[in-house]
Amino acid sequence: MSVPTEHLLALAAILFAIGVAGFFTRRNLIVVLMSIELMLNAANLTLVAGSRLHSSTGAVQVDGPILVIFIIAVAAVEAAVGLALVIALYRQKQTVSLDAFARLED
Amino acid sequence: MVNLLFYAAALVAVLTAAGVVLARNPVVSVVSLLSCFGSLAVIYLLAGFQFLAAIQILVYGGAIMVLFLFVVMLLNLGGLSPEAEDRDDPLFHDRRRSAGGLAVAVALGSASLIGILRGARHLTEPTNGFVLPAEGYDALPALAEAMFTRYSLPFEAASVLLLATTVGVMVLAKRQRSAPPAGEERP
Amino acid sequence: MTHDWLWLIPALPLLGSLLCALQHAQVLRGRATNPDLQPGIGAGATAIAAMAAAFGLCLRGFGDIGGETELLQSSSWAWIPGGGGLDIQVAMVLDRLSGAMALVVTGVGLLIHVYAAGYMRGDAGYAKFFAFLNLFVTMMLVLILSGNMVGTFVGWEGVGLCSYLLIGFWYDRDGGSPGHAAQKAFVVNRIGDASFLLGMFLLFTTFGTLDYASLIEGIRAAAMGGENSGTLALAALLLFGGACGKSAQFPLFTWLPDAMAGPTPVSALIHAATMVTSGIYLVIRLNPLFAASEVALFLVAAIGAATALIAGSAALRQRDLKGILAYSTVSQLGYMFLALGSGAWVAALFHVITHAFFKALLFLGAGSVIHGMHEEKDVHKMGGLRRHMPRTFITFTCGAAALSGLPLLSGFFSKDEILAHTFAVGGAWWLLWGVGVFTAALTAFYSWRMVALVFFGEERFDAATVHPHESPPIMTVPLMVLAALSLLGGIIGLPAVFHVPHLLGEWLDPVVRTGNEILEHRSGGHLPHLSHTMEWILLGLGSAIALGCAHLGFHRNKNGLATEEAFESDHPKLHGALSDAWGIDRAYYAGVVTPVRVLAAFVAVFIDAFCVDGTIDAMADTAKRAGTRLKAFADGQVASYGLWMGGGAAVIALLWALGGN
Repeated sequence: MSVPTEHLLALAAILFAIGVAGFFTRRNLIVVLMSIELMLNAANLTLVAGSRLHSSTGAVQVDGPILVIFIIAVAAVEAAVGLALVIALYRQKQTVSLDAFARLED
Repeated sequence: MVNLLFYAAALVAVLTAAGVVLARNPVVSVVSLLSCFGSLAVIYLLAGFQFLAAIQILVYGGAIMVLFLFVVMLLNLGGLSPEAEDRDDPLFHDRRRSAGGLAVAVALGSASLIGILRGARHLTEPTNGFVLPAEGYDALPALAEAMFTRYSLPFEAASVLLLATTVGVMVLAKRQRSAPPAGEERP
Repeated sequence: MTHDWLWLIPALPLLGSLLCALQHAQVLRGRATNPDLQPGIGAGATAIAAMAAAFGLCLRGFGDIGGETELLQSSSWAWIPGGGGLDIQVAMVLDRLSGAMALVVTGVGLLIHVYAAGYMRGDAGYAKFFAFLNLFVTMMLVLILSGNMVGTFVGWEGVGLCSYLLIGFWYDRDGGSPGHAAQKAFVVNRIGDASFLLGMFLLFTTFGTLDYASLIEGIRAAAMGGENSGTLALAALLLFGGACGKSAQFPLFTWLPDAMAGPTPVSALIHAATMVTSGIYLVIRLNPLFAASEVALFLVAAIGAATALIAGSAALRQRDLKGILAYSTVSQLGYMFLALGSGAWVAALFHVITHAFFKALLFLGAGSVIHGMHEEKDVHKMGGLRRHMPRTFITFTCGAAALSGLPLLSGFFSKDEILAHTFAVGGAWWLLWGVGVFTAALTAFYSWRMVALVFFGEERFDAATVHPHESPPIMTVPLMVLAALSLLGGIIGLPAVFHVPHLLGEWLDPVVRTGNEILEHRSGGHLPHLSHTMEWILLGLGSAIALGCAHLGFHRNKNGLATEEAFESDHPKLHGALSDAWGIDRAYYAGVVTPVRVLAAFVAVFIDAFCVDGTIDAMADTAKRAGTRLKAFADGQVASYGLWMGGGAAVIALLWALGGN
């Protein structure tokens, strides 16, 4: 594959922007969490692009892939905790709409 | 041909990502995200990262997305909640905040794109194209060696994090049968 | 050798004051459950005991000085310690001048305390009254006994405060006019006090000390060397300004007649016998300063003579018994300043002492009359009281005789000594002597008019409702003691023509020696002196005027109000001017008080309520409105907070993407 690196990065930027948009516009807490996953994947894609560029211009380096693996692990943690919170909150208010959780106002 | 495949996968990734954000039904969002991760896995594979593509499918597709789907099903969120139906737009925040969110997204995206395009000329692309080793850029022996030598501390930290998460999530999501009702009001 | 017991002289009345205050607090607390609770006699006894002890100590100190010991000094207390600069060491000093003054204050004060114990009986604020009265004595003693000007100033302010408290003692009576009078006294005194302070500052910058002993040394050196004459004159005039306020001299005397709103013992003690003489005390204390400047001396004498004349003429037409005595006091204080302005320091103190005796007597007698007349003060509604209150009548008449200067009584000797000195100075002082003689005639006239209207003639009160009665012994015994002093007090200052020593003159000689030396130095070696013939002539003239005018004043009024009413209808304008003290008070109101009130109203409404409050309100309003607006940002939605964070990140990202390379 001879796709230039900047195309990979541009794809990452677009995915990231879509994630941001979802994060800020959706009311549904679960969809907000999914938007965060989307942003993390965009970050992974930039790492992949960078690692590919480095490895093909010199010796193979595995730092990029390792960081991606760690990010996937942390993303899994984040999703698990986030979803557990969603369940706990749902038990309180019988909804996952962000409007119901505005306690910081007071 | 391979390049074409990449652009097709990229297009699918963008469309499914948009689907995640725009879908009315959370189940549709989950499936869209799953497709997005799949196409990203394709892109990893094309870029020469076989192992990453594999765990992208296994961990993201197999574990995380199933978790999401599981929660959506558990809370019976396939449809919209009754009170959410009363709103003008049950999916998105009111127009002002949505516009603000979109503006921030566009600004961040365009800033990244501008940065990428302006920085692209500084990149030193390989002169004779990307030479892909047979075992890929993320050969497992090299990965494993780095993971258990140079990255052993972050590795251990990640394992502790996972353990703590397991316990924490169980505490959070457990049905509090014996807890007093007032405890649930505690922020 | 130090005499630390001197501190006890002011401390004892202070202790008495505190005890009385505690008693008053107890009464107030008791009144919460029993509204009719009357204070016991204990407060009066405490106060009298404190006064008696202070008087005893003063007597002891008085006995110790004279002979070899010139003065007694306590150890000093470093109030404002300073190296080289302002260094204030407060010490109690009992010398011949302060000893004499302290003896008068505690002695007359003791008698007035005893009198007040009877007079104030049954008053709701009995204990409070004695707390104030004892505090006053404390402050007066601090004023007198302090060895430096700062201590004197503390006492000076303290007696002003007590005067304020006691004038306004019955602040809720007569529609609040005592409260108003108290404020007036305080404010007018403040003008004088400011002048006193300036004078003090000037002396400090000139001589670098405020200690009387070193100050007098410095002044003596400067005056003999002819240096700093302008500064000395200015300092003298500024201090005299202070004395004008406290001692009720023209143009600041208007507070004293109003001060009669206080209880009568207060009028006797503070506004006749002691506090108002502190201005005279100050001038005698700093006699070299005044002696050094001819201008200052003349101004002091002229103001004194003018005050004597204005107040003496105003006293002619007063109908309020205490008002007559108040104007008389102002007039007699004018005499004292006339003496000071003539260099007759001893004569001034002599008159202070005799005046303390007979004016305290007159005020206390007037209090006894008012007491017996059920708080009636108008002399036109009295008459014929000699039959109802004989003891008061006899003692009051003694006081009036002394005041009018009938021959051989105390007032006769002191007044004639003043007039003789003024005459002897000559020059412009002859004019002032004329004024003094004329005022002496007025004094004799109004004194006997007062006696005639109060005690003689038909009874002009309503016998059905008013039953005049003699006061109890606790009030009349002090009157008798004071009457004896008024009659015989002249012994301490017999004129030279009697060929007996002038006791007070010899006693005070060390204090006034420096001033007299400066006077002698300025006049080229000789002090004004009168021949014996001239003195006999002046004494005879004084006796004749006093007897003649006393006779006139008595016989024109002993048969009732006919002459008074005739004068009123014949000369309505003159009557109005006299009873109004020549309209000076009204001029103050028109020229100062009303404009200040208008200005105060303007400041209150425009500057304060509109500008200041408006600005503050506007600031608060702005903050509040901004808060209301900003509150919308904190709507509790996590997404909103995130949005602001994302917006910030977007801005930073855009700056980073667009800037640089």
